[in-house]
Amino acid sequence: MSSFDSPQVPSFAVVFAGIQRGLIRLQRIPSLILPAVLMPIFFVVAFSGSFASIVELEGYETDKAVNWMTAWAVMQGAAFSGMGAGGLAGTDLENGFFDRLRVAPTRPMALIGGLVGYCVCRALIPITAVLIVAFAFLNADMPGGLLGVVMVYLSGVGMSVVMSFLVLGIVFTFKTLKSLAIAQIIMFSSMFLSVGQAPIQAIEGWLHHVAAVNPITNVIRMCRQGFLGEVTWATTQPGLIALLGMMLGTGIWARIRYKKVDA
Amino acid sequence: MLRQPQSWAPGLFFPLLLAAVYASQFSRAVTIEGFPFPNVSFLDFVLPACVIQGVLFGSTNSASDLAADIENSFMDRLLVSPVSRGSILLSRLASAFIYGVAQAAVLISIFVLFGANIAGGFSSIISIVLIAAMLSVSMGSFGIAVALRTGSQEVVQSTFPLIFVAVFVSSAFFPVQLMEGWYGAIARKNPLTWVIDPTRRMAIEGFSWADFGQSLGIVLVIASIGILISIRQLRRRLVRAQ
Repeated sequence: MSSFDSPQVPSFAVVFAGIQRGLIRLQRIPSLILPAVLMPIFFVVAFSGSFASIVELEGYETDKAVNWMTAWAVMQGAAFSGMGAGGLAGTDLENGFFDRLRVAPTRPMALIGGLVGYCVCRALIPITAVLIVAFAFLNADMPGGLLGVVMVYLSGVGMSVVMSFLVLGIVFTFKTLKSLAIAQIIMFSSMFLSVGQAPIQAIEGWLHHVAAVNPITNVIRMCRQGFLGEVTWATTQPGLIALLGMMLGTGIWARIRYKKVDA
Repeated sequence: MLRQPQSWAPGLFFPLLLAAVYASQFSRAVTIEGFPFPNVSFLDFVLPACVIQGVLFGSTNSASDLAADIENSFMDRLLVSPVSRGSILLSRLASAFIYGVAQAAVLISIFVLFGANIAGGFSSIISIVLIAAMLSVSMGSFGIAVALRTGSQEVVQSTFPLIFVAVFVSSAFFPVQLMEGWYGAIARKNPLTWVIDPTRRMAIEGFSWADFGQSLGIVLVIASIGILISIRQLRRRLVRAQ
Protein backbone atom coordinates (compact mmCIF):
# COMPACT_ATOMS: atom_id res chain seq x y z
CA MET A 1 0.00 0.00 0.00
CA SER A 2 1.53 3.31 -1.01
CA SER A 3 1.44 6.45 1.05
CA PHE A 4 -1.19 7.85 -1.31
CA ASP A 5 -3.94 5.44 -0.30
CA SER A 6 -2.87 5.13 3.35
CA PRO A 7 -5.02 6.84 5.93
CA GLN A 8 -3.25 9.90 7.36
CA VAL A 9 -1.81 9.39 10.83
CA PRO A 10 -3.12 12.18 13.09
CA SER A 11 -0.53 14.94 13.24
CA PHE A 12 -0.52 15.22 17.03
CA ALA A 13 0.36 11.50 17.27
CA VAL A 14 3.29 12.01 14.87
CA VAL A 15 4.49 15.06 16.80
CA PHE A 16 4.24 13.14 20.06
CA ALA A 17 6.10 10.14 18.56
CA GLY A 18 8.80 12.49 17.24
CA ILE A 19 9.26 14.04 20.67
CA GLN A 20 9.33 10.62 22.31
CA ARG A 21 11.90 9.34 19.82
CA GLY A 22 14.18 12.32 20.47
CA LEU A 23 13.91 11.95 24.23
CA ILE A 24 14.65 8.21 24.06
CA ARG A 25 17.73 9.01 21.98
CA LEU A 26 18.75 11.58 24.57
CA GLN A 27 18.36 8.96 27.31
CA ARG A 28 20.46 6.47 25.34
CA ILE A 29 23.20 8.97 24.48
CA PRO A 30 23.47 11.33 27.47
CA SER A 31 26.62 12.86 25.98
CA LEU A 32 24.28 14.67 23.55
CA ILE A 33 22.80 16.80 26.32
CA LEU A 34 25.90 17.30 28.47
CA PRO A 35 27.50 20.10 26.39
CA ALA A 36 24.09 21.76 25.98
CA VAL A 37 23.74 21.92 29.77
CA LEU A 38 27.35 22.48 30.81
CA MET A 39 28.07 25.29 28.34
CA PRO A 40 25.28 27.66 29.50
CA ILE A 41 26.17 26.89 33.12
CA PHE A 42 29.75 27.77 32.33
CA PHE A 43 28.57 30.91 30.52
CA VAL A 44 26.64 32.21 33.51
CA VAL A 45 29.56 31.49 35.85
CA ALA A 46 32.23 32.83 33.48
CA PHE A 47 30.44 35.97 32.32
CA SER A 48 29.25 36.85 35.81
CA GLY A 49 32.78 36.35 37.11
CA SER A 50 34.74 37.91 34.27
CA PHE A 51 32.52 40.94 33.86
CA ALA A 52 31.66 41.43 37.53
CA SER A 53 32.60 45.12 37.39
CA ILE A 54 30.89 45.88 34.10
CA VAL A 55 27.58 46.64 35.88
CA GLU A 56 29.20 49.85 37.17
CA LEU A 57 28.58 51.28 33.70
CA GLU A 58 25.37 53.11 32.86
CA GLY A 59 22.43 51.09 31.57
CA TYR A 60 22.83 47.78 33.37
CA GLU A 61 20.09 48.59 35.92
CA THR A 62 21.51 46.12 38.44
CA ASP A 63 24.41 45.93 40.84
CA LYS A 64 25.14 42.24 40.19
CA ALA A 65 26.53 40.95 36.91
CA VAL A 66 24.79 37.62 37.47
CA ASN A 67 21.39 39.34 37.18
CA TRP A 68 22.39 40.53 33.74
CA MET A 69 24.21 37.43 32.51
CA THR A 70 21.73 34.73 33.62
CA ALA A 71 19.24 35.68 30.92
CA TRP A 72 22.06 35.64 28.38
CA ALA A 73 23.14 32.14 29.45
CA VAL A 74 19.51 30.94 29.39
CA MET A 75 19.10 32.18 25.83
CA GLN A 76 22.38 30.57 24.78
CA GLY A 77 21.30 27.25 26.31
CA ALA A 78 17.85 27.42 24.71
CA ALA A 79 19.29 28.34 21.31
CA PHE A 80 21.90 25.59 21.53
CA SER A 81 19.14 23.08 22.29
CA GLY A 82 17.75 23.89 18.86
CA MET A 83 20.81 22.20 17.42
CA GLY A 84 19.29 18.93 18.63
CA ALA A 85 16.67 19.03 15.86
CA GLY A 86 19.39 19.47 13.26
CA GLY A 87 21.49 16.71 14.80
CA LEU A 88 18.62 14.22 14.69
CA ALA A 89 17.47 15.21 11.20
CA GLY A 90 21.06 15.24 9.90
CA THR A 91 21.71 11.72 11.24
CA ASP A 92 18.44 10.50 9.68
CA LEU A 93 19.29 12.12 6.34
CA GLU A 94 22.76 10.57 6.28
CA ASN A 95 21.64 7.03 7.15
CA GLY A 96 18.56 7.13 4.93
CA PHE A 97 15.95 6.85 7.68
CA PHE A 98 14.63 10.27 6.75
CA ASP A 99 13.52 8.92 3.35
CA ARG A 100 11.31 6.40 5.15
CA LEU A 101 9.84 9.15 7.32
CA ARG A 102 9.09 11.21 4.23
CA VAL A 103 7.03 8.46 2.60
CA ALA A 104 5.06 7.87 5.79
CA PRO A 105 1.39 8.90 5.58
CA THR A 106 1.71 12.08 7.57
CA ARG A 107 2.01 15.80 7.13
CA PRO A 108 5.52 17.31 6.77
CA MET A 109 4.79 19.88 9.48
CA ALA A 110 4.00 17.01 11.86
CA LEU A 111 7.46 15.52 11.25
CA ILE A 112 9.07 18.93 11.69
CA GLY A 113 6.87 19.53 14.75
CA GLY A 114 8.16 16.33 16.36
CA LEU A 115 11.75 17.47 15.94
CA VAL A 116 10.97 20.96 17.24
CA GLY A 117 8.96 19.58 20.16
CA TYR A 118 11.90 17.39 21.13
CA CYS A 119 14.12 20.46 21.21
CA VAL A 120 11.64 22.36 23.37
CA CYS A 121 11.69 19.52 25.93
CA ARG A 122 15.47 19.45 25.66
CA ALA A 123 15.71 23.22 26.20
CA LEU A 124 13.92 22.96 29.55
CA ILE A 125 16.95 21.12 31.00
CA PRO A 126 19.62 23.84 30.44
CA ILE A 127 17.16 26.63 31.31
CA THR A 128 16.38 25.00 34.66
CA ALA A 129 20.04 24.14 35.29
CA VAL A 130 21.17 27.72 34.66
CA LEU A 131 18.46 29.11 36.96
CA ILE A 132 19.44 26.67 39.74
CA VAL A 133 23.12 27.62 39.48
CA ALA A 134 22.33 31.34 39.29
CA PHE A 135 20.05 31.36 42.33
CA ALA A 136 21.73 28.70 44.48
CA PHE A 137 25.40 29.48 43.90
CA LEU A 138 25.70 32.95 42.36
CA ASN A 139 23.10 34.84 44.42
CA ALA A 140 20.98 36.03 41.51
CA ASP A 141 17.90 38.13 42.34
CA MET A 142 14.42 37.90 40.85
CA PRO A 143 12.48 41.03 41.84
CA GLY A 144 10.01 40.15 39.10
CA GLY A 145 8.90 37.12 41.14
CA LEU A 146 7.16 34.11 39.65
CA LEU A 147 6.14 36.08 36.57
CA GLY A 148 9.82 36.79 35.95
CA VAL A 149 10.57 33.06 36.02
CA VAL A 150 7.66 32.46 33.62
CA MET A 151 9.18 35.04 31.26
CA VAL A 152 12.52 33.22 31.39
CA TYR A 153 10.93 29.91 30.40
CA LEU A 154 8.65 31.49 27.80
CA SER A 155 11.46 33.28 26.01
CA GLY A 156 13.78 30.27 26.34
CA VAL A 157 11.23 27.87 24.87
CA GLY A 158 10.41 30.36 22.12
CA MET A 159 14.07 30.77 21.24
CA SER A 160 14.57 27.00 21.07
CA VAL A 161 11.63 26.77 18.60
CA VAL A 162 13.11 29.53 16.43
CA MET A 163 16.58 27.98 16.41
CA SER A 164 15.18 24.48 15.76
CA PHE A 165 13.38 25.74 12.64
CA LEU A 166 16.45 27.65 11.52
CA VAL A 167 18.82 24.71 12.00
CA LEU A 168 16.38 22.29 10.34
CA GLY A 169 16.19 24.55 7.30
CA ILE A 170 20.00 24.53 7.07
CA VAL A 171 20.27 20.75 7.51
CA PHE A 172 17.50 20.16 4.92
CA THR A 173 19.47 22.37 2.54
CA PHE A 174 22.87 20.68 2.90
CA LYS A 175 21.59 17.20 3.91
CA THR A 176 24.59 16.51 6.10
CA LEU A 177 25.47 16.67 9.78
CA LYS A 178 28.50 18.78 8.92
CA SER A 179 26.16 21.66 8.09
CA LEU A 180 25.59 22.03 11.83
CA ALA A 181 28.84 24.03 11.85
CA ILE A 182 27.21 26.61 9.57
CA ALA A 183 24.13 26.60 11.77
CA GLN A 184 26.30 27.21 14.84
CA ILE A 185 28.02 30.17 13.23
CA ILE A 186 24.70 31.77 12.21
CA MET A 187 23.16 31.03 15.60
CA PHE A 188 26.03 32.40 17.71
CA SER A 189 26.48 35.45 15.48
CA SER A 190 22.83 36.40 15.71
CA MET A 191 22.88 35.93 19.49
CA PHE A 192 26.08 37.92 20.01
CA LEU A 193 24.86 40.81 17.84
CA SER A 194 22.25 41.74 20.43
CA VAL A 195 22.04 43.12 23.97
CA GLY A 196 23.08 39.75 25.37
CA GLN A 197 26.06 41.04 27.30
CA ALA A 198 25.60 44.80 27.35
CA PRO A 199 22.65 47.22 27.36
CA ILE A 200 21.96 49.12 24.17
CA GLN A 201 23.09 52.38 25.84
CA ALA A 202 26.56 50.94 26.43
CA ILE A 203 27.02 49.58 22.91
CA GLU A 204 28.79 51.85 20.46
CA GLY A 205 29.39 51.97 16.72
CA TRP A 206 27.97 49.58 14.14
CA LEU A 207 26.86 47.05 16.77
CA HIS A 208 24.56 49.61 18.38
CA HIS A 209 22.54 49.85 15.14
CA VAL A 210 22.60 46.08 14.52
CA ALA A 211 21.56 45.24 18.10
CA ALA A 212 18.76 47.82 17.94
CA VAL A 213 17.11 46.11 14.96
CA ASN A 214 18.01 42.52 15.90
CA PRO A 215 14.72 40.88 17.02
CA ILE A 216 16.67 38.71 19.49
CA THR A 217 17.33 41.91 21.47
CA ASN A 218 13.63 42.15 22.35
CA VAL A 219 13.47 38.48 23.32
CA ILE A 220 16.48 38.85 25.62
CA ARG A 221 14.93 41.95 27.21
CA MET A 222 11.74 39.98 27.80
CA CYS A 223 13.74 37.16 29.37
CA ARG A 224 15.85 39.49 31.50
CA GLN A 225 13.17 41.83 32.85
CA GLY A 226 12.35 39.76 35.94
CA PHE A 227 16.00 39.83 37.05
CA LEU A 228 16.11 43.63 36.88
CA GLY A 229 12.68 44.63 38.21
CA GLU A 230 8.96 44.15 37.71
CA VAL A 231 7.61 42.32 34.68
CA THR A 232 5.84 44.78 32.40
CA TRP A 233 3.71 44.43 29.29
CA ALA A 234 5.79 47.15 27.62
CA THR A 235 8.84 44.86 27.72
CA THR A 236 6.96 41.61 27.18
CA GLN A 237 4.99 42.64 24.10
CA PRO A 238 7.95 43.43 21.79
CA GLY A 239 9.56 40.17 22.89
CA LEU A 240 6.47 38.15 22.06
CA ILE A 241 6.07 39.87 18.69
CA ALA A 242 9.73 39.21 17.89
CA LEU A 243 9.39 35.55 18.87
CA LEU A 244 6.23 35.04 16.83
CA GLY A 245 7.74 36.81 13.83
CA MET A 246 10.91 34.75 13.98
CA MET A 247 8.92 31.51 14.48
CA LEU A 248 6.84 32.30 11.42
CA GLY A 249 9.86 33.21 9.29
CA THR A 250 12.05 30.29 10.30
CA GLY A 251 9.07 27.90 10.23
CA ILE A 252 8.33 28.81 6.61
CA TRP A 253 12.04 28.48 5.80
CA ALA A 254 12.20 24.98 7.36
CA ARG A 255 9.02 23.91 5.50
CA ILE A 256 10.32 25.18 2.14
CA ARG A 257 13.70 23.48 2.61
CA TYR A 258 11.94 20.25 3.65
CA LYS A 259 10.05 20.30 0.37
CA LYS A 260 13.33 20.65 -1.51
CA VAL A 261 15.20 17.84 0.27
CA ASP A 262 14.98 15.72 -2.87
CA ALA A 263 16.00 18.58 -5.16
CA MET B 1 44.48 23.08 5.71
CA LEU B 2 43.61 23.78 2.09
CA ARG B 3 41.42 20.70 1.77
CA GLN B 4 39.62 21.16 5.08
CA PRO B 5 38.80 24.83 5.67
CA GLN B 6 36.29 23.75 8.32
CA SER B 7 39.25 22.81 10.54
CA TRP B 8 40.72 26.33 10.70
CA ALA B 9 37.83 28.65 9.75
CA PRO B 10 36.14 28.59 13.20
CA GLY B 11 39.51 29.43 14.78
CA LEU B 12 39.53 32.64 12.74
CA PHE B 13 35.84 33.42 12.80
CA PHE B 14 35.05 33.21 16.51
CA PRO B 15 37.97 35.32 17.83
CA LEU B 16 37.18 37.99 15.23
CA LEU B 17 33.48 37.91 16.06
CA LEU B 18 34.19 38.18 19.79
CA ALA B 19 36.70 40.99 19.23
CA ALA B 20 34.28 42.92 17.03
CA VAL B 21 31.41 42.46 19.46
CA TYR B 22 33.40 43.15 22.64
CA ALA B 23 35.08 46.22 21.15
CA SER B 24 31.61 47.73 20.65
CA GLN B 25 29.89 46.34 23.75
CA PHE B 26 32.61 47.03 26.29
CA SER B 27 34.19 50.12 24.77
CA ARG B 28 33.27 52.09 27.91
CA ALA B 29 34.71 49.43 30.23
CA VAL B 30 38.08 51.17 30.06
CA THR B 31 36.53 54.03 32.07
CA ILE B 32 35.79 51.76 35.06
CA GLU B 33 37.90 52.71 38.07
CA GLY B 34 40.84 50.34 38.40
CA PHE B 35 40.96 49.36 34.72
CA PRO B 36 44.70 48.88 34.10
CA PHE B 37 44.81 50.51 30.64
CA PRO B 38 42.38 53.47 30.79
CA ASN B 39 43.78 55.21 27.72
CA VAL B 40 43.44 52.45 25.15
CA SER B 41 40.53 51.15 23.12
CA PHE B 42 38.92 47.87 24.17
CA LEU B 43 39.94 46.48 20.76
CA ASP B 44 43.59 47.05 21.65
CA PHE B 45 42.95 45.46 25.04
CA VAL B 46 41.45 42.22 23.64
CA LEU B 47 43.83 41.90 20.67
CA PRO B 48 46.44 39.63 22.31
CA ALA B 49 43.75 37.54 23.99
CA CYS B 50 41.86 37.03 20.73
CA VAL B 51 45.03 36.00 18.92
CA ILE B 52 45.83 33.50 21.68
CA GLN B 53 42.22 32.30 21.77
CA GLY B 54 42.18 31.70 18.01
CA VAL B 55 45.45 29.83 18.09
CA LEU B 56 44.31 27.71 21.03
CA PHE B 57 41.04 26.82 19.30
CA GLY B 58 43.04 25.51 16.36
CA SER B 59 45.71 23.82 18.47
CA THR B 60 43.93 20.48 18.55
CA ASN B 61 43.98 20.15 14.74
CA SER B 62 47.35 18.34 14.61
CA ALA B 63 46.26 16.03 17.42
CA SER B 64 42.97 15.38 15.68
CA ASP B 65 44.80 14.50 12.44
CA LEU B 66 47.07 12.13 14.37
CA ALA B 67 44.05 10.46 15.98
CA ALA B 68 42.52 10.10 12.49
CA ASP B 69 45.74 8.42 11.33
CA ILE B 70 45.49 5.98 14.24
CA GLU B 71 41.79 5.35 13.59
CA ASN B 72 42.26 4.57 9.90
CA SER B 73 45.46 2.53 10.55
CA PHE B 74 47.75 4.92 8.65
CA MET B 75 49.81 5.17 11.85
CA ASP B 76 50.50 1.42 11.69
CA ARG B 77 51.89 1.83 8.20
CA LEU B 78 54.06 4.71 9.41
CA LEU B 79 55.40 2.54 12.21
CA VAL B 80 56.49 -0.25 9.83
CA SER B 81 58.13 2.23 7.48
CA PRO B 82 61.82 3.11 7.95
CA VAL B 83 61.24 6.52 9.53
CA SER B 84 62.46 7.82 12.85
CA ARG B 85 59.79 7.51 15.57
CA GLY B 86 60.66 10.97 16.80
CA SER B 87 59.89 12.48 13.41
CA ILE B 88 56.26 11.36 13.71
CA LEU B 89 55.90 13.48 16.82
CA LEU B 90 58.10 16.30 15.56
CA SER B 91 56.14 16.67 12.32
CA ARG B 92 52.89 17.11 14.26
CA LEU B 93 54.44 19.67 16.58
CA ALA B 94 55.97 21.52 13.63
CA SER B 95 52.57 21.55 11.97
CA ALA B 96 51.04 23.06 15.15
CA PHE B 97 53.78 25.72 15.17
CA ILE B 98 53.32 26.67 11.50
CA TYR B 99 49.56 26.70 11.94
CA GLY B 100 49.96 28.96 14.99
CA VAL B 101 52.24 31.38 13.11
CA ALA B 102 49.85 31.57 10.15
CA GLN B 103 46.76 32.06 12.27
CA ALA B 104 48.33 34.66 14.58
CA ALA B 105 49.70 36.61 11.60
CA VAL B 106 46.31 36.62 9.84
CA LEU B 107 44.45 37.64 13.00
CA ILE B 108 46.87 40.47 13.82
CA SER B 109 46.67 41.73 10.21
CA ILE B 110 42.88 41.84 10.36
CA PHE B 111 42.97 43.59 13.75
CA VAL B 112 45.38 46.23 12.44
CA LEU B 113 43.18 46.71 9.35
CA PHE B 114 40.27 47.46 11.66
CA GLY B 115 42.18 50.06 13.62
CA ALA B 116 43.97 48.18 16.38
CA ASN B 117 47.20 49.79 17.48
CA ILE B 118 50.24 47.76 18.49
CA ALA B 119 52.49 50.12 20.40
CA GLY B 120 55.64 48.04 20.19
CA GLY B 121 55.51 47.90 16.42
CA PHE B 122 57.24 45.12 14.52
CA SER B 123 59.14 43.66 17.49
CA SER B 124 55.92 43.33 19.50
CA ILE B 125 54.10 41.76 16.55
CA ILE B 126 56.86 39.18 16.03
CA SER B 127 56.88 38.44 19.78
CA ILE B 128 53.09 37.95 19.91
CA VAL B 129 53.18 35.68 16.85
CA LEU B 130 56.01 33.63 18.36
CA ILE B 131 54.30 33.30 21.75
CA ALA B 132 51.00 32.35 20.10
CA ALA B 133 52.72 29.75 17.91
CA MET B 134 54.55 28.23 20.86
CA LEU B 135 51.27 28.16 22.78
CA SER B 136 49.80 26.25 19.85
CA VAL B 137 52.68 23.76 20.20
CA SER B 138 52.09 23.55 23.98
CA MET B 139 48.40 22.79 23.76
CA GLY B 140 48.94 20.73 20.61
CA SER B 141 51.40 18.51 22.50
CA PHE B 142 48.80 17.76 25.17
CA GLY B 143 46.30 16.97 22.41
CA ILE B 144 48.86 14.70 20.74
CA ALA B 145 49.34 12.87 24.05
CA VAL B 146 45.56 12.35 24.24
CA ALA B 147 45.49 11.18 20.61
CA LEU B 148 48.32 8.69 21.21
CA ARG B 149 46.71 7.44 24.40
CA THR B 150 43.17 7.02 23.08
CA GLY B 151 43.52 6.87 19.28
CA SER B 152 40.16 8.61 19.06
CA GLN B 153 39.35 11.83 17.19
CA GLU B 154 36.22 12.24 19.25
CA VAL B 155 38.15 12.19 22.53
CA VAL B 156 40.65 14.73 21.16
CA GLN B 157 37.80 16.99 20.07
CA SER B 158 36.17 16.66 23.47
CA THR B 159 39.19 18.39 25.05
CA PHE B 160 38.04 21.59 23.33
CA PRO B 161 35.75 22.72 26.19
CA LEU B 162 38.75 22.55 28.55
CA ILE B 163 40.58 25.05 26.34
CA PHE B 164 37.44 27.18 26.20
CA VAL B 165 37.18 27.21 30.00
CA ALA B 166 40.91 27.95 30.41
CA VAL B 167 40.62 30.98 28.10
CA PHE B 168 37.53 32.41 29.77
CA VAL B 169 38.75 31.90 33.34
CA SER B 170 41.76 34.11 32.69
CA SER B 171 42.49 37.77 32.00
CA ALA B 172 41.70 37.22 28.30
CA PHE B 173 38.61 39.41 28.05
CA PHE B 174 38.68 41.45 31.23
CA PRO B 175 41.43 42.45 33.67
CA VAL B 176 41.75 40.17 36.70
CA GLN B 177 42.04 43.28 38.90
CA LEU B 178 38.32 43.84 38.31
CA MET B 179 37.25 40.25 38.91
CA GLU B 180 35.82 39.31 42.27
CA GLY B 181 35.68 36.31 44.62
CA TRP B 182 36.75 32.78 43.80
CA TYR B 183 36.49 33.43 40.06
CA GLY B 184 39.05 36.20 40.25
CA ALA B 185 41.27 34.04 42.47
CA ILE B 186 41.28 31.19 39.92
CA ALA B 187 41.82 33.60 37.01
CA ARG B 188 44.82 35.11 38.80
CA LYS B 189 46.38 31.63 39.24
CA ASN B 190 45.62 30.51 35.66
CA PRO B 191 48.93 30.16 33.73
CA LEU B 192 47.17 31.62 30.68
CA THR B 193 46.76 34.88 32.63
CA TRP B 194 50.53 34.91 33.20
CA VAL B 195 51.00 34.55 29.44
CA ILE B 196 48.27 36.96 28.33
CA ASP B 197 49.10 39.84 30.71
CA PRO B 198 52.72 40.39 29.60
CA THR B 199 51.75 39.79 25.97
CA ARG B 200 49.08 42.47 26.36
CA ARG B 201 51.59 44.87 27.89
CA MET B 202 53.84 44.34 24.86
CA ALA B 203 50.95 45.21 22.55
CA ILE B 204 49.77 48.23 24.53
CA GLU B 205 52.87 49.67 26.20
CA GLY B 206 55.58 48.50 23.84
CA PHE B 207 58.08 45.68 23.56
CA SER B 208 60.03 44.69 26.65
CA TRP B 209 62.42 41.78 27.08
CA ALA B 210 61.04 41.12 30.57
CA ASP B 211 57.48 40.69 29.30
CA PHE B 212 58.63 38.66 26.31
CA GLY B 213 60.77 36.44 28.55
CA GLN B 214 57.92 35.88 31.03
CA SER B 215 55.38 34.93 28.34
CA LEU B 216 57.69 32.75 26.33
CA GLY B 217 59.20 31.14 29.43
CA ILE B 218 55.80 30.02 30.75
CA VAL B 219 54.77 28.77 27.33
CA LEU B 220 58.03 26.81 27.00
CA VAL B 221 57.50 25.20 30.41
CA ILE B 222 53.96 24.14 29.39
CA ALA B 223 55.29 22.89 26.04
CA SER B 224 58.05 20.88 27.73
CA ILE B 225 55.55 19.13 30.00
CA GLY B 226 53.24 18.42 27.07
CA ILE B 227 56.04 17.10 24.86
CA LEU B 228 57.36 14.85 27.64
CA ILE B 229 53.88 13.37 28.13
CA SER B 230 53.55 12.93 24.34
CA ILE B 231 56.90 11.09 24.14
CA ARG B 232 55.81 8.82 26.96
CA GLN B 233 52.52 8.07 25.20
CA LEU B 234 54.31 7.42 21.91
CA ARG B 235 56.63 4.92 23.63
CA ARG B 236 53.64 3.26 25.24
CA ARG B 237 51.93 2.93 21.87
CA LEU B 238 55.10 1.54 20.28
CA VAL B 239 55.34 -1.10 23.01
CA ARG B 240 51.70 -2.04 22.45
CA ALA B 241 52.25 -2.19 18.67
CA GLN B 242 55.11 -4.72 19.00
